[in-house]
Amino acid sequence: MSVRATALIKPLIWIVVLTLLCGIAAMRLDVRAPVDTNLLDLLPATRQSPLLDAATERTQTAFLRDLSLVVSAADDAQAHQGAEAAKIALTAAGLPLSDPAQSAQALLGLYRQHHYGFLTAADRRQLHKDPIGTFTNDVAGEFANPAGMAGVFGTDPGGYLGRYLMDLPQPYPNFTPDGAFMSAQRDGQSYFLLRATLPEAALGEPGATHAARAVAAVRSAVKAQCPNCKLLATGAALFSAAAQNEARQEVFWLTMASMLFIVLLLLLVFRSLRPLILGLLSVGAGVLAGAAAVVICFRSVHILTLVCGTTLLGIAIDYAFLYFAEHWFGEGPAERTLNSVLPGLTMGLITGVIAFAFLLLAGFPALTQIAIFSVVGLILSYATVLLVFPLLLRRRPALQFANLLQCPQRLLVLACKPSRWRQIVPLTVLLLAIPGWLQLHTSDDVRDLQNFPKPLLNADQDVHRLLGQIAPLGFFLIAGGNIQQALQREQTLFEVTAAEFPDAMALGLSRFLPSEARQQMDLKIWATIYRDPAALKRAFAHIGLPPEYVNTLETDWQNDPHAPLTPHPLLAAEPELGQFVVRADGQLALIATLMSPLTTARGLENAAAQVPGVSFVAPLQRLTGIFRQIRWRATWLVVAGYVLISLLLIWRYGRRNTLRMLYPPLLSLAVTLGVLGWLQVAVNIFVIVGLILVLGVGRDYTVFLREGAGSRSTALGVTLAALTTLCSFGLLAFSAIPALHAFGLATLIGILSSYLSAPLSIAPDTRETA
Amino acid sequence: MISMKSMATRIFWALLLIASVPSAVAGVAAVPLPTPPKSFSARFIETRTLPGFNQPLVSRGQVAFSRVRGVLWEVTAPYHYVFKMGPSGVEEQLPDGSVRRLDAEHAPWLAVVRHIFISALTGDTSDLEHYFDVRITALKVGRRIELSPKPGPMAKAIKHISVIEAGTPQFLRIDEASGGRIDIHFLDTRITAEAP
Repeated sequence: MSVRATALIKPLIWIVVLTLLCGIAAMRLDVRAPVDTNLLDLLPATRQSPLLDAATERTQTAFLRDLSLVVSAADDAQAHQGAEAAKIALTAAGLPLSDPAQSAQALLGLYRQHHYGFLTAADRRQLHKDPIGTFTNDVAGEFANPAGMAGVFGTDPGGYLGRYLMDLPQPYPNFTPDGAFMSAQRDGQSYFLLRATLPEAALGEPGATHAARAVAAVRSAVKAQCPNCKLLATGAALFSAAAQNEARQEVFWLTMASMLFIVLLLLLVFRSLRPLILGLLSVGAGVLAGAAAVVICFRSVHILTLVCGTTLLGIAIDYAFLYFAEHWFGEGPAERTLNSVLPGLTMGLITGVIAFAFLLLAGFPALTQIAIFSVVGLILSYATVLLVFPLLLRRRPALQFANLLQCPQRLLVLACKPSRWRQIVPLTVLLLAIPGWLQLHTSDDVRDLQNFPKPLLNADQDVHRLLGQIAPLGFFLIAGGNIQQALQREQTLFEVTAAEFPDAMALGLSRFLPSEARQQMDLKIWATIYRDPAALKRAFAHIGLPPEYVNTLETDWQNDPHAPLTPHPLLAAEPELGQFVVRADGQLALIATLMSPLTTARGLENAAAQVPGVSFVAPLQRLTGIFRQIRWRATWLVVAGYVLISLLLIWRYGRRNTLRMLYPPLLSLAVTLGVLGWLQVAVNIFVIVGLILVLGVGRDYTVFLREGAGSRSTALGVTLAALTTLCSFGLLAFSAIPALHAFGLATLIGILSSYLSAPLSIAPDTRETA
Repeated sequence: MISMKSMATRIFWALLLIASVPSAVAGVAAVPLPTPPKSFSARFIETRTLPGFNQPLVSRGQVAFSRVRGVLWEVTAPYHYVFKMGPSGVEEQLPDGSVRRLDAEHAPWLAVVRHIFISALTGDTSDLEHYFDVRITALKVGRRIELSPKPGPMAKAIKHISVIEAGTPQFLRIDEASGGRIDIHFLDTRITAEAP
């Protein structure tokens, strides 16, 4: 086999491996959801309950698709006109308002048919105590009530059904129905509420764009119809649209700025675009292979894996720059480039792979995915340098090693001179970092990772204040062998919560449909009342009501089928009530919630614990818990990985040198944490990922410098790698999105301190002899 | 979670609207006056004719209205019953002396009912026109006001309302869609001084 053929085999292997990975991934890919955005999938599978998942998804979807708009003006007629214009614009935008009157009529019909089974708790208590006396008194009261109607007597003589209906939950207590809208008068203003449901998920691009466009159209329509009207709009989709818009703008400017800087830097140093293209090839191959490996294992890539896994770019680019620096400016022959950098690259890869491989042990799908993505990505980036670069970079370009390019080596030499400053400077920085560590705090709340426009936040607060809405802390999941058992448990739960939180509003299916057992209980009370019609007549006559009325009432009772209302006709009349019912794997549960500013998650958990089959779920708390666990596990596994890496370094470089090599990355870690503490930046999962990157890059620098013996090409390679990483990730410190800002800041400080402290990994005497 | 709320809202308010129509109508039932007094009081005789019953129920009592304090409706015969509607809510005293309260704070829709009530009693026909087609006929003394509900939930409960007034309310008749009927005669109506 010729030398040329042998040279071609290597890139061919690279192409075959990458193609195979991508091909298998394409076959395995779940085309319906290639990118998984459900944060609950971060939970280990064994901990998930199908019912809980179904319930969480149900509440999440409902929350995400909801859109609320409020049109207001001082003049009621104008505000009404504005609301009409808004309604037309919403309909034209594909978000028609639903007409509640139709289903409400159907429901009312059902309630009237079964009215004997629907008593409020207070009426039930009174009627149970003195059936005939209470009934007579209530009938008399209804007759005398100026708000009572004569015609209601036949169907609801004591006003019991009316009171039951009035006792139904009032989620927007400040608003009353007003034609197609709900309206309120407050502080001299008229408010009209319009509510719409998005047909698509709010977090996706289509849903967010749909909502934002619809609201913009409504705004114009309202303005045209009623210039004095004000429009407030809120909904998860609008927040999603704002976040996407901000992210898009930021990514554009930051990417442009960093790309421009990197291109200029490479042109300045290499006078060629080849390093840029080959660098992209190396990193691109790594990201592609990483994503393919994750898809092969999981059939889709989680969004968090993509976000965190691409930090791999920061490490993978180091391999390329080390090669370029040696190839362009190495002191050895060009054909020996690979041999010169191979030990450093290999040690960098092995330590990097070990660090990430430890995340495989986390037991969290997200960390497992990040680990697979990073390990495979690093290997492919390394393979690109190893198998492709030697073929594409053969002859060394005739380029003069400019003075400016010698600066990194000069700095290295200066930093490696025996001097007490090598101890004083790091010690001082460390001492300054200590107060910062003491100020460090953590945050795993997803809300802290977002940044939304002030007008949108204000509109959201105003809408919720106007509606009198209290955001619930979570929901109850009420499991049952069948729906009747679940309804009974929910009733018991609401009795417990009513005793503990008297002002809270309970919302659940049993508020609209009491269990059959409870309806039977109410029917028994009526049976007692009508058991002795003569006694009832005497009571009527005694109070002053015509006794013959009893005949008609008794006939109505006798003709009644005395059958409780079952879920099927109720859910057929109002399908939205079905939102309270979740089914999964042949199991059934009800979702219920309690709204009150005075409730606490602990209190609700305690209430749930008192009823069998009931649990309280706080999705936000749960999500925060997931992030906390991921943060902790990632931290400890990286520490464990570092211990193993240390053993490897000891094997290769000896104990003394290993300590020296670990010193700079650990110092930069300490400095980064100190600065983050001083700046009051909370440590979250993104900061941890940033720190993993910092440790990885810092370790690479020390390995490269050690293997390259501080040569000019190594010093230049490390400098270029640091500058490009600073540029691509450090710039994120200027992002307005808190998650990116925290990650960018950690990376900026970490990479800077890693680079500046890297010379400490070389012993002064070693440098002098180099 | 919000969707569940919205669902409940839709159902609740739609039901409440239907259920509370009588309340609104009872408010509307009072006479729109050309020069509305700030407060008045009167005796009344109310006759309720129930569909399917031969014998109507007749009750007597007194009514007092004040823009500030609200409405006091007291039945004195055949039994004692009191209904008070004020800014803080509704209070009912039943024949057995027991009291039932509905706080405006917990039922803000009461404010709307009260608003309609006051609009009706103070002759603010613009508010009534929101719910009814209003027709006014001049009489020798006073005028007759005919209210026909606009299509919607109100029309499902009320067929027609007729009011005769002559500075103060004289007579009111409500024909319900169910076939029931309420006739109220106001007697000895007096314009009273508004309480400070």
